[in-house]
Amino acid sequence: MLLVALIPVVCGGWLSGPQSTFDTKGPVAETQLDVFYVTLWVTVAIFAVVGSVLAYATIKFKARNEADEHAEPPPQGHGNPLIELSLIVVSILALVIIAVPTLKAIWYTYEVPEELMEDTYEVTAIGHQWWFKFQYEDEMVPQPFGGEAPLVTANELVIPAGRPVKVNLRTVDVIHSFWVPKLAGKVDMMPNRGNHLWMLADEPGYFWGQCAEYCGESHAVMRFRVIALAKDEFNAWLENQKSPARTVAASADAQITTAFADYGAFAVNQPGWTPEFDADPLGSWNALQAPNADEDPALIAAGRQAFIENRCAGCHTVRGHDGIGNIGPDLTRIGSRSTIAAGLLENTPKNLYRWITEPDRVKPGNFMAHTRIVAPPGMITMPGYTMRDPATGDRNPTDGDIEITPEEGHALVAYLHSLK
Amino acid sequence: MDQSLTKNEFIGHEEHAPAAKRSWLFSRPDHKTGIVSWLTTVDHKRIGFLYGISALFFFLVGGAEALMIRLQLAVPNNDFISAQTYNEMFTMHATTMIFLAVMPLSAAFFNYIMPLQIGARDVAFPRLNGFAYWLFLAGAIVLNIGFFVKSGLPDMGWFGYAPLTSTAFSSEFAGDMSTDMWVMGLQILGVSSVIGSLNFIVTIINMRAPGLTMMRLPVFTWMTLFTAFLIILSFPAITIALVEVMMDRNFGTLFFEVSGGGLPILWQHLFWVFGHPEVYILILPAMGIISEILPCFSRKPLFGYPIVVFSGAVIGLLGFGVWSHHMFTTGMGTVATAAFTVATMAIAVPTGVKIFNWIGTLWNGHLSMRTPMMFALGFVWMFMMGGFSGIMHAAAPADAQQQDSYFVVAHFHYVLIGGSIFALLAGIHYWFPLMFGRKVSEFWGKLSFWVIFAGFNITFFPLHFVGLNGMPRRNFTYDGNMGWNSINMIATIGAFILGIGIAVYFVVMIYTYFKGEKTKRDPWDGRTLEWSIPNPPPHHNFDVTPNVHARDAYWYEKHHKAEIEAEKAKLAAEDEAHGGIHMPSNSWFPVITASGMLIGSIFFCNHNFLGAIGGLVIVFFGAWMWSVEGPGGYHLHPTKEGSDDADAQH
Repeated sequence: MLLVALIPVVCGGWLSGPQSTFDTKGPVAETQLDVFYVTLWVTVAIFAVVGSVLAYATIKFKARNEADEHAEPPPQGHGNPLIELSLIVVSILALVIIAVPTLKAIWYTYEVPEELMEDTYEVTAIGHQWWFKFQYEDEMVPQPFGGEAPLVTANELVIPAGRPVKVNLRTVDVIHSFWVPKLAGKVDMMPNRGNHLWMLADEPGYFWGQCAEYCGESHAVMRFRVIALAKDEFNAWLENQKSPARTVAASADAQITTAFADYGAFAVNQPGWTPEFDADPLGSWNALQAPNADEDPALIAAGRQAFIENRCAGCHTVRGHDGIGNIGPDLTRIGSRSTIAAGLLENTPKNLYRWITEPDRVKPGNFMAHTRIVAPPGMITMPGYTMRDPATGDRNPTDGDIEITPEEGHALVAYLHSLK
Repeated sequence: MDQSLTKNEFIGHEEHAPAAKRSWLFSRPDHKTGIVSWLTTVDHKRIGFLYGISALFFFLVGGAEALMIRLQLAVPNNDFISAQTYNEMFTMHATTMIFLAVMPLSAAFFNYIMPLQIGARDVAFPRLNGFAYWLFLAGAIVLNIGFFVKSGLPDMGWFGYAPLTSTAFSSEFAGDMSTDMWVMGLQILGVSSVIGSLNFIVTIINMRAPGLTMMRLPVFTWMTLFTAFLIILSFPAITIALVEVMMDRNFGTLFFEVSGGGLPILWQHLFWVFGHPEVYILILPAMGIISEILPCFSRKPLFGYPIVVFSGAVIGLLGFGVWSHHMFTTGMGTVATAAFTVATMAIAVPTGVKIFNWIGTLWNGHLSMRTPMMFALGFVWMFMMGGFSGIMHAAAPADAQQQDSYFVVAHFHYVLIGGSIFALLAGIHYWFPLMFGRKVSEFWGKLSFWVIFAGFNITFFPLHFVGLNGMPRRNFTYDGNMGWNSINMIATIGAFILGIGIAVYFVVMIYTYFKGEKTKRDPWDGRTLEWSIPNPPPHHNFDVTPNVHARDAYWYEKHHKAEIEAEKAKLAAEDEAHGGIHMPSNSWFPVITASGMLIGSIFFCNHNFLGAIGGLVIVFFGAWMWSVEGPGGYHLHPTKEGSDDADAQH
């Protein structure tokens, strides 16, 4: 029966998804998988033996018929201490087989090994309800009002391949957990506690990750990606990230030439991914690093205007353009990220338009817009980002409604996508 | 022994000189039928029945919540229920199944069966027993009020990790009281469990029939005792944690308040110091039931009785030293992680020992494959599977990938459904003839077993794989490109098969209760004392307090009939000389006191502190009246020719 159950597992690709813990791409995940295999084979062996004895006893000693059931009872034996003791010893031995590699792996997976320490690259991941901020502690960038601060990005952690990466784990609100199954098992981001993990991507690659500790209403859609790049590409990426936001120059009298797409209505939990992207995720990610071919400078300028007028800059920063907010993700390079809404949606114009116009339906309870208000025709209404009442802690929309026309929505999409 | 002394000291001996009439307020009710008799009951069998019915009701509620979860996850990107509703469903599914279904169902058996197994006529504190039940009901109501009010149900998970329970993160709007209801409900349930457990401990230690030494106790009674100790030792931890959350939420303390320097990790330690023993609170009674059923249907004694008992004790003890294996991913550091890994693996030994002994019990037996036996064997298989996946995440590095994934979901459903629930369903089948004098049809019983068994495995076996394929728990939706689609669909189909199986089981039980085949005394050729009495059991359980000569007391009686009959006649005469069997009167005050807790906590959840004080006043009134109401009690003379009616005395 067990073997039959295994057929779809092997043939049906039940263990080969983007977050498979079997398809390991680095030494940490691999060590963890090895420990799993040890536990698996030992327990399967025990199961085979004990299960056969149990099955045999059940069949062999079964009463065959009514008469058999009422026959004289069998000898009333009370047990056999020698059998008991030897079984206990055997069980302890089986556990020792598991315990030895387990203990070794506990120490190995906890800290970057001594010999690799020199080469370690350090980043800080900070959990927010419901997105991840990544902070590159060694890469300082100038700030709008002077001074320097570490480079920040959101939801896509770019790391150098082949080097150990130490990830410091922090949170600003509740407990989150950082989990990239193909690179390393999870470690929690605990408030008032400095955790860390390390991982190493053997090869350049594109990896799926997800928050693994229940963190509130939209926990399920708090996802992220890890992109491992070869040394040169990583350095080039860093340089680009550190420079201020890219500006698309527009002459003062330029007219908007783009025809707006009609995206229709969006369904709740509508999928935000495409098979084309998944076929070659790293290639798709690379393609996104270059500016779009069909940029409309006038539309982008209108988008930048809308970004200011609609108070987006209150929570978000586009370094070199506008905004000093850090409640929401940094948007300086949002156009070059492959996903939006914390790894939930592929970064296409349609998905970005959907995310901007109905954030509460894409990610219920998020602080960009708490509840949706039925809008007058031709108008999309965002009731404003939510603030917490400092006295009661209640989540209330306190800042008045944000109203965006569809034109502004399209302009914002064009602007944000120009930020490469 | 000096007979005259015993006679004079006997409670209520002054039966021939009635006490002065007390005012109605201080006299105790003695209704035998009707709603009042149930509200005021102190009979352990009736209380056990109430526990059972309530637990089965909440089992269905929890099951419906599970089906909602499975429907939502049947296909990727589903929008059957909202994120908020989904989170409420998984929070309440777990809370309901653990605190309102499995624990009270075990308590039902403790109440009903344990006193019968030790030859007692009731538990040590009958009114306290009633109080424990009414408190349980109060807690259950508080937890479920969210179905009917604007706040909705609690939505921060059954583990309630701080700081999700703080006002900052759990209030959807001003005055959201869903978390308060969870906090108050669990506190009340904790009080109920501790009271019940103290009662069981005192009962088992003090009220065993003569000759029933500890090492002759039926294993189920042993497991009752261990479970009761686990409860009284582990519940204080969660009670402290809950009180701290309550203080944080209502009075501005900073135990878990991050902004004030509070430590959310503290909650996790307190919670799991309770939470892990809780796992054994759920499984030890099940192991006890299995250890009764397997010998009975193998027609031979339990293999290695002392080791089974001892391993139960070891499991209970070690259970207090492994709590942090629920926290391997919280960054405890290498030494703590290693220590808890090894301690957790150590628990596999006594657990394995039990499995070996159950197989040893079957060996050389005459196995009659009746429905209870089917469920019991199903238990052994499924519990073994759950045990093995448990060893897998005892290894902390492997657990780093499995923690909070569907692998863990699969694991603990194997031990909780395949383990606890299978055993409890087996227990219902096994003791049904004793409780109601009717027997479930073998065909329908076995049919329900196979449907439940198939549905359960179809649901949960594939979930191991989806977990290892990276699917986290507590997700209201997932994308279709993760390779999780087919397994989730299969699991949903399995869940509905399981649901159908449970439905068949219930329908058959209800049918049997009303129309089932009547059965004679001791239908299974039982081995323990509860089978020595008529079914359904009379109010006073035993006409004559039995004298126990061997471990399987009733089996011994059946094989030494002449000797026992002579002894019984002698004991009956002695009982009569004492003035008959003394039975306790009913009382209103357990239910009144519990209602004070209910009212008070509901007001407290609403931050209406005046109302909360009002509730406390009712509690104190009830407790005071409880202590001053008449001693009550009356005598029965079942062995006296033609008279089994009581001499009343209030």
